[in-house]
Amino acid sequence: MIIKFSLNGKNTSLDTDPMKRLLDILRENYNLLSVKESCGEGECGACTVLLNGLPVTSCLINIIQVDGGSVITAEGISETSLGKLIAASFTETNAVQCGFCFPGFLVTTYHYLQHDPDCDENKIKNALSGNICRCTGYQKIIEAVQLACRKLADQEHKHEDV
Amino acid sequence: MKSEPRKDALAKITGKCRFLDDYSCENMLHGYLLYATIDCGKIVNISFPNDYDLAEFTIVQTADIPGENIVPEPVSDQPFLADKAVCHYGQVIMGIAHADLQTLKKFISAIEVEYEEEEAIIDVHSCLDDKANQSGECMHISHTDRNKEKTDNLKHIEDVFYTQHQEQAYLEPQGMLAEYLPQSSTMKITGTMQCPFFVKSAVQMIMGKAVKNVIVETSEGIGGAFGGKEDFPNLLAGITALLAYKSQQPVKIVLERSDDILITTKRHPSRVAIVSYTNMLTGKLQAVNIDYRLDAGAYLTLSPVVLARGILHAGGGYCLPRCEISGYMHKSNTPPNGAFRGFGAPQALFAIEAHLDNIGKIIGKSPLEMRLANILRLHDTMPSSQSMKEDHLYECLQKVIEISDYKNKRLEFEQYNQNNEIKKGIGLALALHGGGYTGNGEKVLQSKVKLRLEKNGEVQIFVANVEMGQGAHTTLAQMVNEELDIPLEKVNVQIPNTSLTPNSGPTVASRTIYIVGTLLQKLAAQIKKEINYESLEEYIRQHQQLFPQEFERSFIPDPEDSFDEKTNEGTAYHDFSWAACVLEIEYDPLQYKIKVKKCWNVLDIGRVINYNIALGQVYGGITQALGWALTEDIYKKGYPRSKGFTDYTLPTTEDMPEFQVEFIHTDSAIAKGLGEIPMDYPAPAVRNAFLQATGIMINDLPLSPERIMKAINRSTL
Repeated sequence: MIIKFSLNGKNTSLDTDPMKRLLDILRENYNLLSVKESCGEGECGACTVLLNGLPVTSCLINIIQVDGGSVITAEGISETSLGKLIAASFTETNAVQCGFCFPGFLVTTYHYLQHDPDCDENKIKNALSGNICRCTGYQKIIEAVQLACRKLADQEHKHEDV
Repeated sequence: MKSEPRKDALAKITGKCRFLDDYSCENMLHGYLLYATIDCGKIVNISFPNDYDLAEFTIVQTADIPGENIVPEPVSDQPFLADKAVCHYGQVIMGIAHADLQTLKKFISAIEVEYEEEEAIIDVHSCLDDKANQSGECMHISHTDRNKEKTDNLKHIEDVFYTQHQEQAYLEPQGMLAEYLPQSSTMKITGTMQCPFFVKSAVQMIMGKAVKNVIVETSEGIGGAFGGKEDFPNLLAGITALLAYKSQQPVKIVLERSDDILITTKRHPSRVAIVSYTNMLTGKLQAVNIDYRLDAGAYLTLSPVVLARGILHAGGGYCLPRCEISGYMHKSNTPPNGAFRGFGAPQALFAIEAHLDNIGKIIGKSPLEMRLANILRLHDTMPSSQSMKEDHLYECLQKVIEISDYKNKRLEFEQYNQNNEIKKGIGLALALHGGGYTGNGEKVLQSKVKLRLEKNGEVQIFVANVEMGQGAHTTLAQMVNEELDIPLEKVNVQIPNTSLTPNSGPTVASRTIYIVGTLLQKLAAQIKKEINYESLEEYIRQHQQLFPQEFERSFIPDPEDSFDEKTNEGTAYHDFSWAACVLEIEYDPLQYKIKVKKCWNVLDIGRVINYNIALGQVYGGITQALGWALTEDIYKKGYPRSKGFTDYTLPTTEDMPEFQVEFIHTDSAIAKGLGEIPMDYPAPAVRNAFLQATGIMINDLPLSPERIMKAINRSTL
């Protein structure tokens, strides 16, 4: 069947089996390779994308659920100013190790900062608890999100000054 | 201590870095594996489904192997493909390829394999309790100090410790791409691996004379490994190559998570029995006998190497005037157990560290008193008779006691626990980890590295050691750029490729920075001396005709190092890294649940090249160790075996303690091993903290609520 949706800000449509996983469609039909398959059962968050603004694990989403909606992947987010700020923060604290889980962390962090850019460690831990990382012990990821929060607050102060 | 940002960070965050599943090529087929779904038995019959055209599929079985059906390993006893006998669940029976992945998976699930089942050994007790089950050669260390003190007032204490399997759980499942080029008789392999030259040997073994050249390259990104991509890639690459050879088309296999967990190598389960005689007055261990056993799984493969490291770490960071250590391997019917960060040392250290606390509790000495009475000091001898050339372990202990306020906390918690439902505990553990291969390993390996100075002033590093997340390619570049005195962005490590990079050995054993990095640093210093430049860029500009120019250097062992592999005497490791840890927990008796609150670490890893990368290794290692200590278990009694991240419980952000990490002797000339030591000490520290919190001695891992409940019920009966 024909599925229409917005992908990283652009309208698109395709004729496909409605039960195909969003993860496979993004990788195979759109070559959006930031979306990684790791556990395939919604536990690890490596395939996280934003569906209608909310973070979802795309391995558990059938493409029919996306019809008429909007999808944003790490590719889309890394073009935005907020996405760039997060990527710079992750780089500065050396939060990344193998990197396989990181596009997922980028998407989840983007959503957290868009809605509640709070430096509180427990809030951040809670927001990221659906993303598994096996390399880092999370410490530097949390530090990076806190750094990004502070950078955002600074930017807002600057805007207020103007 | 510098903290240069990682070179690969941005590409990984934004998803531009290519991992194996992101690779594809023209006419590529998807490959997959048909594997056994029984633990032990014989294959009686295999029937293919009628509603598929078999001609569409490429199928490889043992008869298709032009070379030998043996995976090369320290003990080469594992076949690539099962013939008749099945020795473990997940043993590969055939490789199958098809252009469409969905069709392929449906076809494989419709294949019926009939078996004659036989009794299997899965459980750690049935595997390890009976000494008669041992396979392969046992290993011994026997040591008696000439100046041992004589004493009569000795306390005899016996303990038996068990640890379980652990899955590496790298986020990127294992994958391999094979391309066969008939014109040049070349098999090109690209994949997720730690040891490109091991994979090359494996592909040569299975292909025999059918293929003249084998080239192995790693994928751009390797999504974690932790030892899990040390030996299994040999088998996977062999089968993928066989499919590419038979189909004459490129073939890519990427495992699904459930299959990756079910069929790949794990950390060895262990049984460590310790009998000790301790001076009741001083707490000094006078004589110790350690019986260290590993469950090798269905094939021995690299277990002897794990066993050697295990027994050489079994005495822990302690001076044992008389000790006997024996190591045994037992076979079972699980996939062969293999490499996992720590490589036999975590099991050994869990036992000795827990035993020390048990002794202390029985004879009335605090954990700190027990350690101070026994810790290895300068010039003390280890079980291998190797002499201590530094006093850094003692310094680590002193420092961690100070920064954690250990003594006060311990007293405070004793008080607190008398009046509170929630119990608090503080645990102490020491660790040592030998850098590089055991014994004569590095001497035999003779690692070689290469640097190329380009016309444009850039420097390329050629080594076989992979970037699997640990930050090696940034750290190695730093070791070269600092020595050559050129900007870091001008120095880059090339993707390991067996036709371009010299064999600098596998990416294992905490050896990449310690052995390979040191070698690169020496080569860079040699270049600087030979060329005698003030500015390398200026020199290259003036002598364009001389460039590009390549320089190589091989590992030269210290002539004073000697190791007897029969008696395990001598220099077991040229350098050890040292660590001391204090860890604080809260235990909720209602839920039988341990929550780790804080973890203080002091480590001596010698020179710290990149502080942030080093910290990342420590945080990550501790977290994996806490998973092993508390939740991770494949074969939970009474449950089906784990086959995903839903039933194999990994630590998340919510499980993390507060960390404090300090490195000492960071200005040393040499950078020692770091990757594994953070895995070695957290599990006994948690266990010892639980002992303080509850007074209950649990000698098994994991300390899951189920196990704690059982232990408490037993002790109150």
